Amino acid sequence: MPDPTISSTAIIWSGLPTLCRGMGVTLILVISALAAGMLLGAPLGVAHVYARRGVRIVLWLFDRIFRGFPTIVLLFLIYFGLGSLPGVSIQPLTAVILVLGLRSAAYQAQIYRGALLMIERGQTEAALALGFSLPKTVLFILLPQALRFSLPSLSNEYSVVLKDTALAFTVGVIDLMSRAKFLAMRSRETLIVYLLIAAAYFILTHAGIALFRAVERGIAIPGLGQQRAKRRA
Amino acid sequence: MTSFRWVIDAVPQLTQGLFVTLRLIAVAAPAGFVLGFVMGLARMYGNRISRGCATAYQMTFRGVPLIVQLFILYYGLPRVGITLMPFAAAVLGFTLCSGAYHSEYVRSAILSIPDGQMEAGRSIGMTTRQTVFHIILPQVFRKALPGCGNEIVYLIKYSSLAYLVTLVDLTGQGRLIAYASFRFFETFFVIGLIYVALVSLATSLLQLAERRLRIPT
Repeated sequence: MPDPTISSTAIIWSGLPTLCRGMGVTLILVISALAAGMLLGAPLGVAHVYARRGVRIVLWLFDRIFRGFPTIVLLFLIYFGLGSLPGVSIQPLTAVILVLGLRSAAYQAQIYRGALLMIERGQTEAALALGFSLPKTVLFILLPQALRFSLPSLSNEYSVVLKDTALAFTVGVIDLMSRAKFLAMRSRETLIVYLLIAAAYFILTHAGIALFRAVERGIAIPGLGQQRAKRRA
Repeated sequence: MTSFRWVIDAVPQLTQGLFVTLRLIAVAAPAGFVLGFVMGLARMYGNRISRGCATAYQMTFRGVPLIVQLFILYYGLPRVGITLMPFAAAVLGFTLCSGAYHSEYVRSAILSIPDGQMEAGRSIGMTTRQTVFHIILPQVFRKALPGCGNEIVYLIKYSSLAYLVTLVDLTGQGRLIAYASFRFFETFFVIGLIYVALVSLATSLLQLAERRLRIPT
C-alpha cells in the first residue's frame, strides 16, 4: 500500500529523476541496436544483391526469422530460450540489443538492397572498365551513394527501433517503460505516468527524425538528387 | 529433442491462442484500414480543423510505442472511470495505432494522383465531391493497397502485445506452455513459425488482391 500521507503528485515528482535515467537506458538501446543493425545490415544488403544462390538461402532464412517473428517472441526466444540452454547465460540488456540489432539488420539489409538497385548499372560498368574490382566498386562507388539514398528509410527505422525498445521491460531491462511501470504502481496514477512517458517517446521519436533530416541535408551531394529527378521527369 | 510429443500435447492450447489472435486481427485490421482511410481523406480534403486533427492524430499515434498506448487504454483509463475489457482494449489500441499508419499510405496515394484529374473532373461539370468519390478514390484504394497490406502484416506481428494486457493470445499460450514444459526455446520457435505462417498467408492474399485490382496500363 502506498503511504497515504504522501500525495501521489509528490511521488511522481520524486520519480522524475528515475524516469530520466530510464530514458538514458532507452537511448543506449536504440543507438546500439541501430549501430549493430547498420554494421551487419550493410554487408547483408550487399549480399542480397551479389551473393550466390547457396548464400541466398541463408539470407532468406535470416530474413524470414528476424522480419517474420514478432519482436516479443524473438526476445523470449533469445532471453528465455537460449538462456535456458546449458552453459549459456545471457544478460537482459545483451539479449535486447542482440534481438533489436539483428532485427534492424534484417530490415536495414532490405533498405540497402533497394538503394543499391536504384543506382544505374552504367556506374558499375564504368568502374569495372576503369580497372576497379567488384568489391572496390561496391565499397567506394555504390555504397556511399546507397547510404545517402537510404537515409529517409533509416529515419523511419529509427522510429521503429525506438518504439520496439519499449518491449525491453518484458525481459527485465530497466528502461523508460519499466521505470514508468514502477512509478505507476507506486503512485497509482497510472494514467498520468503513462501519458507522461507517451510524451517522452513522442519527443524522442520526432526529435530523432528531425536529426536524421539535418544529417540528410548535411551530407547531400549538391546536384545529385536533381539529376535523378530530371532523368525521371 | 527425444520426442515431439510435447508439440502434439500443446496443439489444443496453441489452437485456442491462435483463435484469440485471429479474432483480434479480424476486428482490428479492417477497422484500422477504414479509420486510416477516413483520416487520410480528412488530411487531404478536409477543412483546416479536420486537417489539423488528422495530422495530430497521425503524429501522436505513430510517435508513441504501441505498448504505451495499450497501457494507457488498459491500465490508465480506469483512473478516470473508463474500464475496458482486455480484448476491447487490445482491439481499440491496435485499431487506433494501425489507422495512423494507414492514413499515411492513403495520403501518399492521393498525392500520387495528378492534379489534372481533379481539374478534368471539375471541368466536365462534376462537383469536387463527385470527382473525389468516383474518380480519385477508386484509384487511391488500389495505390494504397501495397502499403496498407504491409501495415496489416505489421499488425499481425504486433498483435502479440495483446498478451501484455492479460489477453491469452498465441504468445500468451506460448508462455504458459513454455513455463509448464520448460521447453523455452522450442516453444517460442514454434510460436514464431506460426506467426511467420500467418504473415505469409496474409501476404499472398494481399498480393492476390493487388493483382486482381491492378490498374491496367
